[in-house]
Amino acid sequence: MRRLTSTLTSALAPALAVVLLVPACSPGPAPSQIVPRSAPAPQPANASTVTAAPSSAPGPAPSCDATASLRPGPLPPPGQMPAGSTMERILQRGRLIAGVDQNSYLMGFRNSFTGEIEGFDVDVARQIAKAIFGDEKKVQFKVVTAAERIPMLQRGDVDVVARTMTITCDRLADVDFSQVYYQAGQRVLVRRNSGITGVEGLGDKRVCVASGSTSLGNVVNRARTTVSVPNWTDCLVMLQQGQADAISTDDTILAGLAAQDPYTEVVGARFTEEPYGVGVPKGREDLVRFVNGVLERMRGDGTWRGMYQRWLGTLGPAPAPPVARYRD
Amino acid sequence: MVIDSQPRQALVRRVTGLARSTPGRLSLIIVVLVVASLASGWLSTWSVNRQERALQDLATRSEPLAHAAQEVYRALQDADATAASAFLSGGLEPPRLRERYEADIAQAQAALSVATASSPDLTATLSAQLPVYTGLIETARSNNRQGFPVGAAYLREASGLMRTQLLPAAQELYRAETDRVARAQDEADFPVVPVLVALAFVVALVLAQRYLTRRTNRLLNIGLVVATAAAVLSLLWVTSASVLVMRDVGDSREASQQVDVLARARIATLTARGEETLTLVARGAGQNYEKNFVEVSRRLEEQLEQARRLGGGEAVEQAVRHFRQWQQVHQRIREADDAGQYADAVALIDNPYFDSLDQDLVRAIGAARQDFSDEVAVARTALAGTVVGVMALAVLSAVGSTMGLWQRLKEYR
Repeated sequence: MRRLTSTLTSALAPALAVVLLVPACSPGPAPSQIVPRSAPAPQPANASTVTAAPSSAPGPAPSCDATASLRPGPLPPPGQMPAGSTMERILQRGRLIAGVDQNSYLMGFRNSFTGEIEGFDVDVARQIAKAIFGDEKKVQFKVVTAAERIPMLQRGDVDVVARTMTITCDRLADVDFSQVYYQAGQRVLVRRNSGITGVEGLGDKRVCVASGSTSLGNVVNRARTTVSVPNWTDCLVMLQQGQADAISTDDTILAGLAAQDPYTEVVGARFTEEPYGVGVPKGREDLVRFVNGVLERMRGDGTWRGMYQRWLGTLGPAPAPPVARYRD
Repeated sequence: MVIDSQPRQALVRRVTGLARSTPGRLSLIIVVLVVASLASGWLSTWSVNRQERALQDLATRSEPLAHAAQEVYRALQDADATAASAFLSGGLEPPRLRERYEADIAQAQAALSVATASSPDLTATLSAQLPVYTGLIETARSNNRQGFPVGAAYLREASGLMRTQLLPAAQELYRAETDRVARAQDEADFPVVPVLVALAFVVALVLAQRYLTRRTNRLLNIGLVVATAAAVLSLLWVTSASVLVMRDVGDSREASQQVDVLARARIATLTARGEETLTLVARGAGQNYEKNFVEVSRRLEEQLEQARRLGGGEAVEQAVRHFRQWQQVHQRIREADDAGQYADAVALIDNPYFDSLDQDLVRAIGAARQDFSDEVAVARTALAGTVVGVMALAVLSAVGSTMGLWQRLKEYR
């Protein structure tokens, strides 16, 4: 019996081996794999790459004395504007309509606790309202993007624009400006430890700027790639998401961005002069003179210094306000 | 060919030989009738089976999937609008809005997992991008809590992602699923060929009866009469059941059309709400949003009108009323905002009409879906027992014709 079993086993063993091994030789299908659907990282809406400066910026700029404005007369008392003047029309309407920003921290931004728009530029607009009505609350803010500033003034959608607006000869062809109320200059914002020390370091970098800003023309030829977005905060989003290496614009705006992200720093010296003026529709000379009077008063009675301390104190002690220049 | 022709000719000769003698003919007729009754029975059973499967698919798969797809779209749209309004209210977001946003995301995720089970390809974009979207919203929120305007930029980016990627993908999913419903409804259509075949079989039985009457001078053959009765009964059964199913499926088509119109109206409602909110968030730079609001509202009005024509109901009437009230309030919001009374405008946006309209539409959609489900259930009862019945009748007519002709055939032996 035992012999029989053992012969049986020895006879069966090769057969068993064949049965067990043969299937092992024929390969099964490859194990399944999970492949994630590759999706492009999200970008701010309307982000686009800029290859050349818009308009004639690098070409021969129209020569003019851009920062010389119209000399103000004595300010009329609030609530009593000269008959037939632009200010009287605003008075009758019951509110000043001012174009401002809600995305530039410190200059013009939405306070997310109160929902109110605040900032240095916003205070300038409030001072104008105060001079017309005797009440700085009588102002309606319309949020404008950088690119929309001139069209809104031309259409008459706003009475004034106080939105980090640089006075240039190009723009003077389309709108009027008050005297300079703030002297800014373009610098560069980068991630800390990025190794970029100024505008010279942007040659092989991707730089973000807001479309329709003067900063765009100043930087487009110095960077490898320039990306434009509607708002400066969109640039900070791109920097935080690693889609841009640097942001270059006026130091005031950059200070506001840096205040929102401790991992960023403003580097390099100012490489442009950006005199800010209040934008006024073309031909409203009375309003320009009136706004200049308001600015003159702000400079004299310490309002300007107080505003600087309140909003831009982080940039250091308040400098002397810009000196007024008039062409009469 | 040459080799083959020999046996084939032999077969033909044998069959034609059979057909020449009466007993031969009778045997042939038996064979033909048995085969025909079984074939016709099988064909009818198959078609009824197909209808049953289509109805089952409608009730348990296509319609629930279409609903899931619609829910994905709605929940995403609502999440985006809610996130925007939470941002609009100054200070910390109201808990009510935060809860609504969270419920929307949970709902979208749940509906998405239902849809993914059937169409993983169509939901790939949604599954990949939804976590990205919620990530951006949370970044916006944490910046917002620190008072940083960059929060609003993240919100804009999230909203852009929603509008350019998630919602179009959800729309595509919804379209695919509603197409599937329409296809299932087509499959439950009238079975023309099986009914014609069954009719031909009845005619064949009558012809066989006439042949026998002429040959044997006996008026009726009981077996054939039974067979004919069974075949006629089967034909009537299949035809009437199919007519009933067709009518019910037609009604279910109307119901699903109503669901579709109402679902689109609900999505338009939420879209319009989002645009209305964003107009205020943009504070004067929102002309595009307002333009979209006007356009979507016009579409919404048309859809409500269409829903009314398709049967309407109390909920639809309510919806129309609330829509009008909402539009009036919107007019006042715009007037306040344009006149510089921003705070008043923001206060007005917190009116009950939008929510009421949304609730009306939810009720109307629920009612229309119930109609759909009822119609499909009625159609399914119309088919109940048909398969077994038709099969039994086919066997009965095969047996009947065999026995009837066998009796005659025996007389020749």
